[in-house]
Amino acid sequence: MKAIIAATILGIVMMFAGLQMKNKSSVVTLAIVLAFLLLGVNIWDLVATPATAPVGYFNNMLRIDRYALWFSTLMTGVTVLYTLLVGKEIQKVGVHVAEYFALIFFILCGVYILSCYNNMLMLFLGIEILSIPQYILAGSDKKNLKSSEASLKYFLMGAFSTGILLMGITLLYGATGSFNIVAYSFLQSDALNPLALGGVIFVMIALGFKVSAAPMHMWTPDVYDGSPTPFTAYMATVVKASAFFAFIRLFQVSFGSISSQWTVVLSVITAATLLIGNLTAVFQQSVKRMLSYSSIAQAGFMLFAVLAVNAVAWQGIIIYAVAYSIATIGIFTVLMKLKDYTYDGFNGLAKKEPLLAFVTTIFLFSLAGIPLTGGFMAKYYVIQAVMVQNQFLWLVIFGLLMAAISVYYYFRVIIAMYFKEGNAELHAPVTQGEKVLLVITCGLVILIGIFPQLLLSWI
Amino acid sequence: MTQLVYLIPLFPLIGFLINGLGWRTIPKTAAGIIGSLAILASFVVSVGIFFEVNSPSFHGPVLVHLFDFIQTGKLYIPFTFQVDALSTLFLLIITGVGFLIHVYSTSYMHHDEGMVKYFAFLNLFVFSMLLLVLGANYLVMFIGWEGVGLCSYLLIGFWFKNRDYTNAAKKAFVMNRIGDLGFLVGMMMILFNYGTLSYGEFFGKLGTVPGALGENTYNWIAVCLFIGAIGKSAQIPLYTWLPDAMAGPTPVSALIHAATMVTAGIYMIARSSVLYNLAPFTLHIVAIIGLATAIFAATVAIKQYDIKKVLAYSTVSQLGFMFLALGVGAYTTAVFHVMTHAFFKALLFLGSGSVIHAMGGEQDIRLMGGLGKKMRITQITFLIGCLAISGIPGFSGFFSKDEILAATYAHDPILYYMALAAAMMTAFYMFRLYFLTFTGKFRGTHDQEHHLHESPSAMTIPLIVLAILSVVGGYVGLPAVISEHHALASYLSPVVSNAGEHHMAAGTEWLLMGLSSGLSVVMIIYAFTANKVPSFVPNTGLAKLLENKWYVDEIYDAVIVRPLAALSGLLDKFVEKSGIDGIVNGVGKGVRYGSDRIRMLQTGQVGFYIFVMVLGIVALFAITFFGVKL
Repeated sequence: MKAIIAATILGIVMMFAGLQMKNKSSVVTLAIVLAFLLLGVNIWDLVATPATAPVGYFNNMLRIDRYALWFSTLMTGVTVLYTLLVGKEIQKVGVHVAEYFALIFFILCGVYILSCYNNMLMLFLGIEILSIPQYILAGSDKKNLKSSEASLKYFLMGAFSTGILLMGITLLYGATGSFNIVAYSFLQSDALNPLALGGVIFVMIALGFKVSAAPMHMWTPDVYDGSPTPFTAYMATVVKASAFFAFIRLFQVSFGSISSQWTVVLSVITAATLLIGNLTAVFQQSVKRMLSYSSIAQAGFMLFAVLAVNAVAWQGIIIYAVAYSIATIGIFTVLMKLKDYTYDGFNGLAKKEPLLAFVTTIFLFSLAGIPLTGGFMAKYYVIQAVMVQNQFLWLVIFGLLMAAISVYYYFRVIIAMYFKEGNAELHAPVTQGEKVLLVITCGLVILIGIFPQLLLSWI
Repeated sequence: MTQLVYLIPLFPLIGFLINGLGWRTIPKTAAGIIGSLAILASFVVSVGIFFEVNSPSFHGPVLVHLFDFIQTGKLYIPFTFQVDALSTLFLLIITGVGFLIHVYSTSYMHHDEGMVKYFAFLNLFVFSMLLLVLGANYLVMFIGWEGVGLCSYLLIGFWFKNRDYTNAAKKAFVMNRIGDLGFLVGMMMILFNYGTLSYGEFFGKLGTVPGALGENTYNWIAVCLFIGAIGKSAQIPLYTWLPDAMAGPTPVSALIHAATMVTAGIYMIARSSVLYNLAPFTLHIVAIIGLATAIFAATVAIKQYDIKKVLAYSTVSQLGFMFLALGVGAYTTAVFHVMTHAFFKALLFLGSGSVIHAMGGEQDIRLMGGLGKKMRITQITFLIGCLAISGIPGFSGFFSKDEILAATYAHDPILYYMALAAAMMTAFYMFRLYFLTFTGKFRGTHDQEHHLHESPSAMTIPLIVLAILSVVGGYVGLPAVISEHHALASYLSPVVSNAGEHHMAAGTEWLLMGLSSGLSVVMIIYAFTANKVPSFVPNTGLAKLLENKWYVDEIYDAVIVRPLAALSGLLDKFVEKSGIDGIVNGVGKGVRYGSDRIRMLQTGQVGFYIFVMVLGIVALFAITFFGVKL
């Protein structure tokens, strides 16, 4: 609860700081300091709340438990890393640097609400608080037509999916007479009101839109590609991970008892997401666009966790969220250093910047799920969650095949860096500080790959 | 102190990291100092732990839990170290002898441009070996086991520009892998039957829980583990890599042969003594293979001319003795021989390195002779090594070898006589080597003679220390007729349980000792008379057979390697090229084709996107309400 308040206040502070501070880089410094402050508040929250007794707020509309606090803390940590790595790039996007950071703090506020909501209204609020700043951020490069197009597309389709979410909530209310998500857990599979089932499917589709699951994924490549790259990095990571956390919270807590009714549909969605994400990524020429398709493909794997209604799935989504976010932010950081976003832009990077090429390789290994990186452990956990469920063996096999395809487009970057002749051009030489940060990020990826338990130690 | 055990492998690891990462920039001398200091530090900690373990107040093994290694489902494997009498003894041998070899290397390798890398590998080697003996479960042991395999590959092929050397390295690796497979299967059987890999838990369950195969489970597991030991400790039929391993720098040979690597198999079986006591059939196999290897390798050593090859085959033969001891259930005796062998074999190898150093790289003993006059320290220490390995009373080898022979006699007199024959051959070929190298007249070129010199003190001091140890090392285990108190056996007794204690009459034991040492002296005199001048006449008949190592390499090549190569050629031609390649490329093309189609859906039109979404929603609803239900 402290974190929600703090995120809001810090966002406002950031906004007013923009009026006072003319120097862009001092704005970035302030943002980094505030992000650390927010992380501190999260940790305070975490330590102060006993593990056994969740706290309810606002007539129990928010229910702050260990999972929620730990997830919020992790996502704030990722945001801190993000501001450290990407902060300098954000000031290049446009003039209102302070506002961009303010919007990111507001997004974090949404993240916190989504991690602890206990009521459908709070889910709706959280989703909107999460989304609206993103519409703005997507269009923040005002003079760039593609950016404006991305913003508008995102907004239109987002509005459409909001409608569907509200429709689902309404149907659920109609069937049960309650907005409380715990109340839905009393739904019985054998005597299920079709209204309720319809509501479940509508909510699933709306949340599927937020996490870019097929066939609701079509906005993703255009928006991710068109938005300014620093914000793409954020949308594809923290925002998506939080939407997933909201997704899994609702479907495990509320609809776990009627899982036999919706798992088949979700398995179809999962399979379609994996197929479309991976297949389409193969043909891309731009690494940025490839990464947006790969984020669809990764969403397919995260859907495994939603599909499996058990405790391992919770662990899986946390590990996946962090491992995937760190690796993706890392790779976007490298991408932003380059002038050319196509595969050819990476040609010969290993000779020019060996360290940059090396960390990129580790990030890509993680995304592809090669052992000893966080990505491997993440995939291992979500797949294990499904295997424990003992139901969707075909989907697991299909997922593994798709993971094999993903190696193709991830490793193309590595091939370009190490085996192709070329002169990868950078915007500016990479500073020592950035190198240290990238190495730390890379170290985190490997650390998670070896000791995934670290990410579960607080729950 | 025992809680600090993690420091022991940590120091070499740090040394490896420093030298390994800085191999371009670190000066050679500094690399030597870093590498040696790392091992010295480990040795100091080991000594501290030894005193604690050896004190009467120490009870049972201490488990030092570092972290949870694998934890999934029912499988739980912690990364834990076990400190007890057995592992501590090996710690002392590995770090102690290892340290001397490191010191020796600082001088021996000083002219090599890859010296920093060399020390990095050497430290990694010691690190792996320490993991192997420290692990409290088979998986940690296996990590170390594989680690030494890798390091031996790196070090045997250290001079990788020479094709033969890299082939030798490959051979060592492949032979080891064959054994490793046995170890892996054994581990999986343990896991399957007992659900744990930790020594304590596994041994505790052994007697009470019969496995899936009933009584035979013990034998199956024991045989599989033994196959691993065969590969690592170079026993028939997987021994051929060890003589070839001479391709590495000489101190590496000393490290592989004396302190580390080859003793791993002995350690593993001694560690699993509880299991092997339940598997008498396997023990019988162990004894037979050990004895066969001891005799076989000894025959080959008689006719070798390369100074290191003789020593290599003598190592194989001595390892055979150790396995014989294990096979007759005398585990402590085998460990005793590991220890004394570590001293005198390291001494002999380092001595031969000193000789090769002086001869400017020459290794053929027919071209040496009379070196004793120029290299007094090397000569005397080498002589002590030879006396020790030959089992002359008073030297360490006598005590341990005599104990093996006595245990064998008590087990089965026929095995004893065969082992005695192998011991006799040992005395013969070792002194043949000694006389040809150090006595008589110099037979090399004039240039070489002029160049002959004693090695620097960094090389001779380790020799002297090892020579002293080769003499006194045996007094920790006096024969029963001399002293009732066997220090080593009582030290190891809490960990290793010998199968059946034999008590023989004092007269018999005196007789056996007299017989073996008397015969050894006879063989030494015979070696002296037979080898005053080497003959360069090509060998014929049996001698030729021996010189060519019974043609085992050629037989392996003809029976295994070539048919396999032919089969793989056929598969490559018919299955790989036309079958698998077609499928793989077909899949790739299919994916690219699909990708090319699907990406067309991404039109950029919001209206179309929403239309697709609506279609999707309709389809999902159709599935929900009319489709299959689980």
